[in-house]
Amino acid sequence: MSVDPDYLALLVCPISRTPLRLDAERNELISDAARLAYPIREGVPVLLVEAARPLAEQA
Amino acid sequence: MSETEIFDRAARRLRRDRAAPDFAEQDFLRAQMIEGLLDRLSSVTRSFSLALDLGCFDGALGVELRARGVKVVSADAGFAFAKMAGGVQCDEDRLPFADGSFDLILSAGVLDSVNDLPGALTLIRRALKPDGLFLGAFVGAGSLPQLRAAMLAGDMVHGSAAPRIHPQIEVRAAGDLLARAGFALPVADSERLDIRYPGLLRLAADLRAAGATNILCGRSHVGLTRPQIGAALQAFAEAAEPDGKTRERIEILYLTGWSPAPSQPQPARRGSAVRSLAEALRKS
Repeated sequence: MSVDPDYLALLVCPISRTPLRLDAERNELISDAARLAYPIREGVPVLLVEAARPLAEQA
Repeated sequence: MSETEIFDRAARRLRRDRAAPDFAEQDFLRAQMIEGLLDRLSSVTRSFSLALDLGCFDGALGVELRARGVKVVSADAGFAFAKMAGGVQCDEDRLPFADGSFDLILSAGVLDSVNDLPGALTLIRRALKPDGLFLGAFVGAGSLPQLRAAMLAGDMVHGSAAPRIHPQIEVRAAGDLLARAGFALPVADSERLDIRYPGLLRLAADLRAAGATNILCGRSHVGLTRPQIGAALQAFAEAAEPDGKTRERIEILYLTGWSPAPSQPQPARRGSAVRSLAEALRKS
C-alpha cells in the first residue's frame, strides 16, 4: 500500500513542522529539518517522534 | 519531558489498539458524540471540501462525512485505528499537518486525554484554512461521579486515595481555551447523558472497550486487592436505584470555533462609538 500523494503533501514533521519527503525505497517519510525518518507501516504513516529513526549526520 | 506529562502516551496508544477489534459494537458514547457533531455541522450553511477526522477510531465519523460529499483525512493516536480508517498515526498535540490544510476539522472522543490541550487546539486552528471550522466533542467535567466515588471507597480500605479518574475540563475553561488558541466565534456547550449500569464491572468493561481506562502517568501499577474491589463494587451497588441499576453521568463537552478570516463579523474597534452610552441610559 502506498501513501496517497495528495495527502502526503499535507503532512509535515511534527517536530519541525516542515514538509516531509517520501523515501519509497525504505518506505519512510524523511524530515530533512529534524534529521528524522518516520516509518510507513502497513500503509500507515507513523508520525510519532518515538517511532522515528534518527538520520546520520551529513558531513 | 515525559515525567512532567499528565497522560502516558505509550499506554494511550496501547489502550486504543486493544479497543480497536471490537470497537464498532461498543461505541455508544462516541456514536452520541458523532450525532452531536453532525447536528452542529448541519446547522452551518457553508459547504466543506476537505476534512480532518482527528481521533478517528474505526472511521465511523469519516463514513458520515464522505456520505455528505466531503473528502476526509483520518488520524488517530493508535496504530490499529489509524490503519482501520486508512489514516495517519499521530498525537493530537504534535499534529503533523501543514498550516491551512483543511476547511473542516472534527474530533470526537479524544481531546480529554491529550497532554497539551492548548497546544493541540492551536495546531488544529493552524491546520485550518481561514474561515475553516473546528467541531470537537469529548468527556468533560462532572462525568463519572459514581465511578469516582466507588473507586475512592475501594481505596479507603487501605487508607489512601490513588489517582484513578482523569482530570476533566469545565465548559467555561473550554471556551477560554478556544479563545486562547486563536479561534474566532468560540462556543462551548455540554450535553448530559445518564447511563444506567447493573454494576461497576459493566461500567469498567465499557470504559475498556472504549479505550478509556486510566492512562495517568501517576497511576498505580499495583493491582487492586480483593477487599478494595469488594468495597468499590459495594459502594457502586449502594448508589443503585430501586431496580438495582446505578445511574452514571457523562457530560459531553462540545467545542465550536472558526479559524479567523476578515469576512467574519468583527467586534467594533474600542472607542469607535459615535454616541455616549451614559447619555442613552439617561434618556430612557
